[in-house]
Amino acid sequence: MPSAQWPLRNRRPTIEVMIPHGKRLRRRRLLADTGAGSNDSNFELVLSEADCQRFTDILLGQVQLGRAYSGWFNVYLIEVRIPRLDFAAAVPVVGVPQVPDGFDGIACFKFLNRFQYGNFGDADRFGLGS
Amino acid sequence: MEKNGSIRAINERLARKIRREGKDPKSPYANRFVGIANGKVVVIADSLTELLRQLRKIEPDGSKCYGVDVAADYSRVEEV
Repeated sequence: MPSAQWPLRNRRPTIEVMIPHGKRLRRRRLLADTGAGSNDSNFELVLSEADCQRFTDILLGQVQLGRAYSGWFNVYLIEVRIPRLDFAAAVPVVGVPQVPDGFDGIACFKFLNRFQYGNFGDADRFGLGS
Repeated sequence: MEKNGSIRAINERLARKIRREGKDPKSPYANRFVGIANGKVVVIADSLTELLRQLRKIEPDGSKCYGVDVAADYSRVEEV
């Protein structure tokens, strides 16, 4: 089973995704948060609004968030890749003014749930499998 | 900029109409992903990846485009 694993960041589970930007790929480190959103959410990742506008200008709508974020936020269509898993897909991403300290955004439950996820026997790492 | 702003408003209005029509299971939009460019429907796709690929091919300026996930329910509050 192909898998990709990353060390914990600030002792919190982390994944890394690559996002096409022109001819290059930009790395984004995301907090892996299974408590963010649901399997039925209208978005899969959270990035800063500035990042969203850097990577795309295709809107999918606006979503109303509660709990850590409050109010209406844009949802963008952004291509995301995880090369080690041979994964590439366009996913809905919500843009917010601030992301968690030390991270570029949040990988929400709906995105993580595309894969097998967990520490795969290593308590200092978090990973995705396909 | 202002021109693209008005295109965005036209695209959003059409997106709302498509979401309403898409609630009818007989609609060609039902449970699909619809791409709008310059105020017109230009793509009906089965996935967001296909929608993005087609939209980029048809209209490289994304600010003139809009994507509609017809099944999405934007009326509820999502907790993050």
